[in-house]
Amino acid sequence: MSKEKEKLAVETLSLTKSYNGKAAVNHLSMQVRQGAIYGFIGRNGAGKSTTLKMLCGLAKPTEGEIRLFGKPAEDSYMARRLGCLIESTGLYPNMTARQNMMMKAKCMGLTDEKSVDRALASTGLSDTGSKKARYFSMGMKQRLGIGLALLGNPDLLILDEPINGLDPEGTREVRELLLALSQEGKTLIISSHILGELSKVATHYGIIKEGNLVEQIDRETLEGNCRDYFQIEVDDSKRALPLILEHAPQMQAEVMDDKIIRLYDLKDGAWLNHLLIENRVQVYSSGFHHMDLEEYFLNRMDNLAEGRKGGEEHV
Amino acid sequence: MFNLLCMDLYRIKRSKFAYVCFGCLLGVIFLSYLMVWLMATPKGQETALKLGMLPLNELEEGRALLAEADVLAMFRESGMDGGMYSLTFGVAVALLVCGDYQGGFMKNIMSLHRQRQVYIGSKLMAAGILNFLYLTLGFAFNMLMNQLFRHMVPASDWRATLFYLGWAWVLTTGFAALIILLCVLSRSTTIGVLGAVFGSSGLIVMLLHSITSQFHLGGWVEYTIYYNLTYGPSAYASVGDLRGVAVGLAFLALYSAASVVAVRKRDI
Ligand SMILES: Nc1ncnc2c1ncn2[C@@H]1O[C@H](COP(=O)(O)OP(=O)(O)OP(=O)(O)O)[C@@H](O)[C@H]1O
Ligand SMILES: [Mg+2]
Repeated sequence: MSKEKEKLAVETLSLTKSYNGKAAVNHLSMQVRQGAIYGFIGRNGAGKSTTLKMLCGLAKPTEGEIRLFGKPAEDSYMARRLGCLIESTGLYPNMTARQNMMMKAKCMGLTDEKSVDRALASTGLSDTGSKKARYFSMGMKQRLGIGLALLGNPDLLILDEPINGLDPEGTREVRELLLALSQEGKTLIISSHILGELSKVATHYGIIKEGNLVEQIDRETLEGNCRDYFQIEVDDSKRALPLILEHAPQMQAEVMDDKIIRLYDLKDGAWLNHLLIENRVQVYSSGFHHMDLEEYFLNRMDNLAEGRKGGEEHV
Repeated sequence: MFNLLCMDLYRIKRSKFAYVCFGCLLGVIFLSYLMVWLMATPKGQETALKLGMLPLNELEEGRALLAEADVLAMFRESGMDGGMYSLTFGVAVALLVCGDYQGGFMKNIMSLHRQRQVYIGSKLMAAGILNFLYLTLGFAFNMLMNQLFRHMVPASDWRATLFYLGWAWVLTTGFAALIILLCVLSRSTTIGVLGAVFGSSGLIVMLLHSITSQFHLGGWVEYTIYYNLTYGPSAYASVGDLRGVAVGLAFLALYSAASVVAVRKRDI
């Protein structure tokens, strides 16, 4: 038990934050392994930023507890092991990128200016010179925010939407940077709406909905759940489905709308096409698909919504 | 706390506001020397007459101005007593504190320093240092002006000068604590600057005083920062002359404690 705990970089116990009596984060208990890249996803207003703010000490939990590397978050030494970027980058608009970095370095008590230059270089801001931060483009500000979070070589990085506003090249650079940091053994918590990008790096996921953590899942399990499926588009799914089930009764099928059907655990699609055409069902398209994180996420949200609706009807 | 102080000093050094405010102080000192020169010295009066700035019948009165003045009195007249110093220094403090909130750099500070009282401590120290520099350099400039205007007034006793600068420093640092409190509460540069304007000019103190003295309850005014700064003694004579220091320290403690509570209570 205690050994298991040592391996956790972040653990929250029943973490709650209420604004005006309404819970923005509701009894959230999450566990982030050391060395993980934890993708934190949820809709707008789900409570991602609020959770991350509490982890960074910017918001006081209404209830619950936060443990960082097995120690209470109030431990002031812990704060130095943590680098964060929450929502928009916090900076002095009238200072240059380097001066902003120097400010943070002084704030931490770092004396080595090389660490500043290193952070600038790794975020591609070395040649912004005397340009003041207020004239930075959105992507440059974002990079500066990541650079500020990297300063002091923290063991845990908390990044709230770090790739917002970055160009494709910048996105790739940040992705490579994140992977490199992860390889150094750092733990990363990243929230993002760009799920395709997130799925390229994340090793674990936490899905939050209306303040509740609805699922924590690692990459392997997710891949398992994201099954391959065979999708056919026909002129009338009501006619096609009975035909298919007649020939393959144990097949798992899902009717998406009156034209599209998804079939799981199908190895070969040729006989199916043949069958449908023989029975004069028009097939517009057919093919194998792989469910990606985005589809999984949307699916999960829909299922939850339906589940709840069902529950309400029973009451 | 000292890390944060280093950070604040780094920013003050590279900011514009600290120099602009200091420039304003020097400008005021220069102007008041110019005015006294025009009104009270024979040469200056000649010029003033030519410019039509001075009516003939006020020449004698003007000369009387200089009779009791010395360098310290000039320094007090040129801004300290009128609240001009508190105003410019208060504005500098407001800009120093609110700058942290404006661009959101506060997030970086507070995620590193979970013990938030450290923030108030560092800001107080930074304000104290800025205050010390403004007062001493301002006084040095004041002496320089006296040289420039051909020793218009005699030098002041150095013990009196040190005594005055000492208690004025305590009182104005107490005033800085008030500005810090306002900024931490409102997180708005506008409110901080307005606080400096109304606080330094004594407007609020005088308004409240005029209301309360209707009921013969105006005695409290002698225990305000504004009153003590304006009417405090220029030389040490008795223990009673230390009232300014006591009042300054009391307000410093009060406003600092309130700031600590405010900054700990609210989320960033
Ligand atoms: N300071 C605050 N006062 C009142 N309500 C707040 C405050 N901060 C957040 N909330 C509320 O808490 C809820 C969660 O907000 P949060 O910013 O955590 O969402 P999010 O998941 O980060 O959303 P997004 O994807 O849009 O960034 C929202 O309903 C929001 O209105
Ligand atoms: Mg957010």
